[in-house]
Amino acid sequence: MQTSIRRHAPFWISIFAGIALWEIAGRSTSAAFMVPFSETLVRLWQLVTTGEFIAQFFDSAELFLTGFVLALAVGMPLGLLLARVRVLRIGIEPYIMTLYATPMVALIPFILSMMGFGFAPKVLVVFLFAVFPVLYNTVEGARSIKPELIEVAKSFRSNEWSLWREVLLPYTLPYSMTGVRQAIGRALVGMIAAEFFLSSTGLGQLIMSASQNFDTGGVFASILVIGLIGVGLMRLGLKIEQHFARWRQ
Amino acid sequence: MTEQAIGTSIPLSTAPKPSPLAARMSGTFAPRLIAGLAILLLWEFVVRAFAPAYVAKPTTVIMAIPRVIVDPAFQVATGVTLAAVAEGLAVALLFGTIIGLLMGRSPMFERAIRHYVNGFYAVPMIVVLPLFSLWFGYSGATRIATIIFAAIFSIIINVADGARSVPREYLEVARSFRSNRLSVLIGIVLPASLPYLLAGFRLAAGRALIGAVVAEFFISVGGLGYYILFNSRTYHHNEAFVGVLLLAGFGVGFELLVNWSTRHFMPWYRRGDKS
Repeated sequence: MQTSIRRHAPFWISIFAGIALWEIAGRSTSAAFMVPFSETLVRLWQLVTTGEFIAQFFDSAELFLTGFVLALAVGMPLGLLLARVRVLRIGIEPYIMTLYATPMVALIPFILSMMGFGFAPKVLVVFLFAVFPVLYNTVEGARSIKPELIEVAKSFRSNEWSLWREVLLPYTLPYSMTGVRQAIGRALVGMIAAEFFLSSTGLGQLIMSASQNFDTGGVFASILVIGLIGVGLMRLGLKIEQHFARWRQ
Repeated sequence: MTEQAIGTSIPLSTAPKPSPLAARMSGTFAPRLIAGLAILLLWEFVVRAFAPAYVAKPTTVIMAIPRVIVDPAFQVATGVTLAAVAEGLAVALLFGTIIGLLMGRSPMFERAIRHYVNGFYAVPMIVVLPLFSLWFGYSGATRIATIIFAAIFSIIINVADGARSVPREYLEVARSFRSNRLSVLIGIVLPASLPYLLAGFRLAAGRALIGAVVAEFFISVGGLGYYILFNSRTYHHNEAFVGVLLLAGFGVGFELLVNWSTRHFMPWYRRGDKS
């Protein structure tokens, strides 16, 4: 009990200090500029009780999950294939690295003018944001496999299945999970970007319409919620990464 | 010479160096060339077969390049965006380093702001745009603010990591020579955490570039992102794609520059150094 208080006290002190600072700053500036924490909560509660918030949240969640799962479904198998076929990996490695470093937001205007305003273009945006971190890191893991390991496995006449199970997967998966963590963060950015710049839906629309109506409270409420979702997802990503990091030698 | 050779493990004679490099090049060059050509061919073919004529494809993009790079509008847009990114990164680097160093060396300060730094880092930077446009208006100030917001937290986190992992012996020696806190911070902690700073800077540069483009999309202020947006809206996809290529070039360029300078200026530091 005593130690738990001592351990968590700094956290709560810093959180309360932050909230107090926010409250004071909000009260001492104009309402169009900043809204105190208490009013943000009130506005958030209004959004929740009118049901607007819940509907938008599920809209966003659907977009996020579809794009993210697609990115995993493409990125992981492709990355593992690259881990197995060395020539293929060497061949397309530089292009994956290039696309990983390219700001994918720049492609949104093209997607808009080619695919319009449906659900599919938005999924494509989330997918493009998320897939390259997964691929890049899986390939990074594939590079960490020493060719000797595969040679030894082969000279002991290991079959394809056990080669995957004993060598390829244990070596590449921890890296892939680093990619998954990065992909979660990027997919979230992609989700909001798609909702801002393609058809306006979800939490992105919530912020957009609030800011267009000069409803600063609504803007703060949405940012607070998206921020908390971001923090939660980041933690989840770290947990996943750490779970698999034990495999890394 | 010998000192350098020990520190960096550079072979003393440079004669055998080119041959393994040449061998490596020939081993990797052919697959890369073939893969690159295959990707371009596939792209060209798919667009020709299925997409409308305005959609960018390799041949038309290549033909657009000479036209675009002499276009003053493109040059101005690139200059404006790069200047904003440089300005924002400079501010983020300065304040990020200061805050990071303090966080790394002062447990009190660290506890006070850690959750906020991590929290803001996890917030998708794009959600602050509506707020920033309310605060700073539809002007370049919003872009700078977005770039700083996008860049600063990864620098703080990395510098704090670096400052925390300074070997204790360095600090003990400094203390026994009675150096004051400020000179320890600047003379020992900062140089020792430079590799972390560079790693954070690499991340920050990529995020700053994204921040600049997103801000230009959102508030329609002139720059490379707006150039891409405007041209793709008016169905000049080839011209717009040259802008994307340039952005990709910056992204990769930053990455290579930081990797190179880590190897060149900090050869003692080999985190994850793989062939």
